[in-house]
Amino acid sequence: MDRLFGFAPSATVYSEMNPILTYLRAAQRIGKTGLLALCALLFMTGAAWAETPAAEHATEHHEEALPQGAPLLVDTVIHNVPLIHDLPIKVNNSMVITWVVMLALIISAQVAMRKVKDVPDGAQNFWEWVVESLYSFLEGIIGKQLVKKTFWFFATVFIFILALNWFSLIPGVGTIGWGIPDPYSGVVTHITRPILRGPNADLNMTMAMALTFFFFWIVWALQANGPGGFIMHLFGPKGDTKGFMKVLMVIVFICVGFLEIVSILFRPISLSFRLYGNIFAGENTLETMATLGGPWFGWLLPLPFYFLEILVGLVQAMVFMLLTAVFTLLIMPEEGHGHH
Amino acid sequence: MLPILAELTGNLHVGLAALGAALGVGFIGMKASEAVGRNPGAATPILVQAILSTAFAEGIVFFAIYLVAK
Repeated sequence: MDRLFGFAPSATVYSEMNPILTYLRAAQRIGKTGLLALCALLFMTGAAWAETPAAEHATEHHEEALPQGAPLLVDTVIHNVPLIHDLPIKVNNSMVITWVVMLALIISAQVAMRKVKDVPDGAQNFWEWVVESLYSFLEGIIGKQLVKKTFWFFATVFIFILALNWFSLIPGVGTIGWGIPDPYSGVVTHITRPILRGPNADLNMTMAMALTFFFFWIVWALQANGPGGFIMHLFGPKGDTKGFMKVLMVIVFICVGFLEIVSILFRPISLSFRLYGNIFAGENTLETMATLGGPWFGWLLPLPFYFLEILVGLVQAMVFMLLTAVFTLLIMPEEGHGHH
Repeated sequence: MLPILAELTGNLHVGLAALGAALGVGFIGMKASEAVGRNPGAATPILVQAILSTAFAEGIVFFAIYLVAK
């Protein structure tokens, strides 16, 4: 654990921590990150079905909250596409922020790894510190073998969510746009159509990430257990009982298996709702505080909550990564746990 | 008292679920910090347990939100 905050890895650490360099190199060579691109594509398609009815609904009723659906910037349909007939193309401002943050991350990783030094400094040092801290942290939780295989996903998700959360906190994101003026003072306090909007305050985004994880979770579970082992892991009896008790235990654990399947199916829902709920509630809190302060103290009241939101952004990124990591660990066969 | 209770409308269950979840998360945090205080070496396994149980405690609120009547 004391390597968690260590700087300046020496050359020996390189050979030991090969997956980290692979990770950074992978981020460097976009061509090799087909999987990353796939994730990004999934994120986009998740947000592409941004529901227009909800957006209309929000503007119709002038609800005292942030709009549920992000305003659409592009809303067209490409006709006569083979196979799917009509291809709707919808781009909302949450997606634009997603792309901007994605580009920023890719470019900064590229710039940092342009000239790799044995004793890193500057940007390379920073990224190596981030990735190495994450690696040793995850290694302590899910074990040596599993972290080698799954690190790319958890690290990407953590860095991406953290960057998105903190980007949405930049003053101006979500607070500049078109709104409804207050009937008494004529001051626009409530923004219904922000120009920029935090992507994690959009359920489409978090749901896309949770579903991406769910897909990889199934892939990893099948790879590690095999189809039969996967079913045995869910329904098979645990512990060593003998004789009549064994028969009883088999029945009990078959029932437990069904319960487990229900809880597994709820994981993507609770994962996405947790992140969305926290970020959306945070934005609402900031807006409420700014309104409460009035024209004079509107800048002062949200300040403490800004610090809270910075913390929440970090904690929620951590929670998303940890939960997905632990869920992956739980489905692995017993000997794969690595630490006991 | 009973008529008042009978006339209660709205989505009371979300509030109750939030209350319960908040209490649950608080207890988990309390016990986890106590456990780390007693055995700092076991901080990582305790963190995993705490995060998992927190997730389950929080999940109740999401289920309650699903049952909100408009």
